[in-house]
Amino acid sequence: MLRISDISYRYRDATIPALQAVSLEIPAGGVYGLLGPNGAGKTTLISLLAGLLTAADGQISLNGQTLAETRAANPRAIALVPQDYAFYPMLGVSENLRFFGGALGLTGAKLKTQIESAIAFARLEQVVGKRAEQLSGGLRRRLNLAIGLLGQPQLLLLDEPTVGVDPQSRHFLLDSIAALPAAGTTVIYTSHYMEEVEAICQKIAIIDQGLVLAEGTLEDILHSPEPLLELRLEQPLPEDLGTRYQAVAESPLKYCLKLPSTAALPRLLDELAAAGCTIRDLNLGQHNLEQVFMRLTNRSLRD
Amino acid sequence: MSPRLLALWLKETIALTRDRHGLLALFIMPTIFILVMTMALRDAFTPGATIDAAYVVVDLDQSLHSKALIKRLDKGAAFRRIDSGNDVDAARQGVMSKRQAMALVLPKGFGERLLTPAGSDGQPTEPLQLLIDPTLSPALQLAFRNQIMAALGAVRADELTQRAGKLFGLPSIPGGNADKDWPDEIRSIAVRNDQSARLPSSVQQNVPAWLIFAMFFVVIPVSSIFIIERQQGTLQRLRAMGLPFHMILTGKLLPFFVVNQVQAVMMVLVGIFVVPLFGSEALEIPHSLPLLLNWWAVSAAVSLAAVSWALLIASIAQTSEQATIVGGVGNILMGAIGGIMVPKFIMPASMQKLAELSPMAWGLEGFHTVMLRHGSFADLLPSLARLLAFAAFSLLAAIWLNHRALAARS
Repeated sequence: MLRISDISYRYRDATIPALQAVSLEIPAGGVYGLLGPNGAGKTTLISLLAGLLTAADGQISLNGQTLAETRAANPRAIALVPQDYAFYPMLGVSENLRFFGGALGLTGAKLKTQIESAIAFARLEQVVGKRAEQLSGGLRRRLNLAIGLLGQPQLLLLDEPTVGVDPQSRHFLLDSIAALPAAGTTVIYTSHYMEEVEAICQKIAIIDQGLVLAEGTLEDILHSPEPLLELRLEQPLPEDLGTRYQAVAESPLKYCLKLPSTAALPRLLDELAAAGCTIRDLNLGQHNLEQVFMRLTNRSLRD
Repeated sequence: MSPRLLALWLKETIALTRDRHGLLALFIMPTIFILVMTMALRDAFTPGATIDAAYVVVDLDQSLHSKALIKRLDKGAAFRRIDSGNDVDAARQGVMSKRQAMALVLPKGFGERLLTPAGSDGQPTEPLQLLIDPTLSPALQLAFRNQIMAALGAVRADELTQRAGKLFGLPSIPGGNADKDWPDEIRSIAVRNDQSARLPSSVQQNVPAWLIFAMFFVVIPVSSIFIIERQQGTLQRLRAMGLPFHMILTGKLLPFFVVNQVQAVMMVLVGIFVVPLFGSEALEIPHSLPLLLNWWAVSAAVSLAAVSWALLIASIAQTSEQATIVGGVGNILMGAIGGIMVPKFIMPASMQKLAELSPMAWGLEGFHTVMLRHGSFADLLPSLARLLAFAAFSLLAAIWLNHRALAARS
């Protein structure tokens, strides 16, 4: 179990903190999705978990040990797969794997075995002799992932690992990542692709502006006790109703409203009629992750 | 040895062998410079070498004395006399058209007034005229004037000897002494710790000079790999793997130190075996073990300074283009003021003082101390101390810059 307790982090000279008292419990042996718009604090959280940053407040523990204790006991316990192709383009596939294995302190038969299993996992057998700069985008992503698996980490941090790949490679990567927990690896997965997170993550956290906005299983998040109502009107939604029902405009004249309960629906319909609004379409209940995400993080454009 | 450090060294070595531009800058460029500059500067290091500057003499006097002066001038090997008619305008035209660089005009009455100080007999003086191509180097102009003065002095001495001989009834042949060959009475001896008496040559200036220049060009491959690592998140990944930053830097120092030593061996071999194929003398390296060790100490100190400087540039630059410009221009400036491109002794005194600021000059001074003066290790200490201090400063600055960059992100 990875336990993150009241972690706050503020970058030097920043006016607002990147993380504000974030607490998460991530069960061992699953894929945990971390969602948030750009600047939400995902990378800061990943950097803290990878040991690239140190939090001034709060605690992080993995299976009861602090991250420093975990790394001291097993320097290969936590691995980071950055969003960039973090390897050497002028080196071959096997040369890259040998180098990063060596950088992890692996030697001899152990290094050889780990390289072979990483190559097999990422299906890189056909390109082992090629230089990394000659690989396609999908193969580069697979090499990036393979390097992350060399140390058989307990915790694997994947930062948008499918950016810029074709659908075939994406499906292969997603299937591969989904299979990792079976080998005892806990995966933290950040992505902007909601369908990916829905497909492979057992638990999800949505964060924005350094705060956890929602956390739980996909089921928990999609079936909120406060149901969402999707409305398409012929006139703009009156401002007072929008404020009261925390409306988010999904497109012109299309709104997503938060109801206190399904019993509140008749009253809302009366209020709309009284305000002279004509309803063209109405959808209550089941929503997808993207709608929840957009609702929680608002629609304003991010950097 | 740490497997992590070994992996870092191996990676840098493979990456370098795949960097064609880096290899060209490190090995081919200095070889070409050594060959070209050794040829170009050969005469600058050879006292009395033939200078490709021709002159004519316009003898309007046609006396025995004027002919004796011409004979005396012909004995000086440095400048080449070409025949011409005794026409001042034609000689002037020849200088204009660069057929000759200078024309010496001996006026009518030159012989008669040879021993008469100007104006002492009440007659106006008509001096010798020297017509000069204005683009001719002032040093060469001065050298030719001195050659004329020396020849004139010899002719006057001959004439005085003749006249003195007459007083004693000795037979005399005017201008007859001009045929006498006097031995070269000045011998240049290089001051070194041993008694070997050879002078420094162009190849001994150029091989260490361009070797130092090439060693500093590790800035290109070092920074290109370092910037790729920083931009593509590889450094981040290595740090997440628990590699301390000082180990990452150490992983770069050793491979490039080895590359610098390979450069040193190759450039020495070029000096010994390739330069003679182009008509210059071979590089002379010290034969004794202590001197060879001293030579290697200088090479090692230059290498540490060069790699540390490269790491500093790689830490400052944000892109490979910036590193190439800052590192390349920095190297060229250090080479220009440090006596690499132009030997220090050719520079004016103020520039020679400025040269003392260039790490390349410290390295060159160290090599000269070993190769030309056969100096001891103690003689090398000033050069070594400066180079190592520069290396330490650059390395610490690189570490500080990287820590500061991390702190800015933290």
